[in-house]
Amino acid sequence: MVDVFSGDLAWYFAGPALGLLIVGLFALVNQPLGASGAYVQTASMAKRRSGVVTWRVWYFIGIFVGGSIVTGVLGSTAEFRPGYDALTDVFPLPVVVLMVFAGATLLGYGAAVAGGCTSGHGMCGTAQRSPASVTVTATFMATAIATTFVLRLLTGGEL
Amino acid sequence: MKLNAIGLLFGIGFGGVLASFDLHEYDTIHAMLRLDEFRVYFFMASAIAVSAPLLWWLEARKTNTPFGGQLRLSQSKPQKHHVQGGALFGVGWAIAGTCPAPALVMVSSGAWLGLVAMAGIFLGLQLREMQQATPDHVGDGEHREINLEVKA
Repeated sequence: MVDVFSGDLAWYFAGPALGLLIVGLFALVNQPLGASGAYVQTASMAKRRSGVVTWRVWYFIGIFVGGSIVTGVLGSTAEFRPGYDALTDVFPLPVVVLMVFAGATLLGYGAAVAGGCTSGHGMCGTAQRSPASVTVTATFMATAIATTFVLRLLTGGEL
Repeated sequence: MKLNAIGLLFGIGFGGVLASFDLHEYDTIHAMLRLDEFRVYFFMASAIAVSAPLLWWLEARKTNTPFGGQLRLSQSKPQKHHVQGGALFGVGWAIAGTCPAPALVMVSSGAWLGLVAMAGIFLGLQLREMQQATPDHVGDGEHREINLEVKA
């Protein structure tokens, strides 16, 4: 049986499924299946700006709903908890909160500067064979792996 | 209206796939970036391997999309901001162990630290916006968001 709801679906099901979603959104709307833009539009709506791309806000809500369905409604992996298991094993919770907040701020800023994130550039951009997206993706993969190894060194191999 | 429904459905599909692959868990991203596990790389590569040829084919046959005009793939040339933004994004991604869509799924799975991550992402995007008089490319990968509301 293919277990969709335990969080360990095989990559050869999950990857192509995501690929088809990317193709489907392009075929219907001519737009990438990216996420940082959905944050921008949702923030704009919260600020009551004009010119909000409303469907991106629905898409933002949809990501939350889809996650809830798989982890909670149909699956059994959703529960109220802090998350970040490997990180909370190494650092006390207040440090984890600071790290997550600082890291997330940095990645949000970086996504805005680069014009996209892992989904927009990493998946949809490379699938379009955009040289800019390939550049962004190669850069963030390199700095992310390097940063992970620095963190590993700093924690004496614990993280 | 129809466009909003499409947005919601594709969001549900996207969030569902991310959750079914545990991409909302810090441990998944961390193991990937530590090069302990390669399943996420296979996942990403297979998604691209499926979508790239289909997109190329759809563009080659000049597909007219119902909501966004003729399908046009981005072919932007790399610029300095791509490298700068990508570099910062990678550092933040490694520290926070999540990125925009998985952070949302993290919250939906009950992990409250996901709210901290989402708050940081909103702040980071906002900081960039405040830095510039006119916001540059706001949208998604290749930030080419066009206002589709007129057609919707």
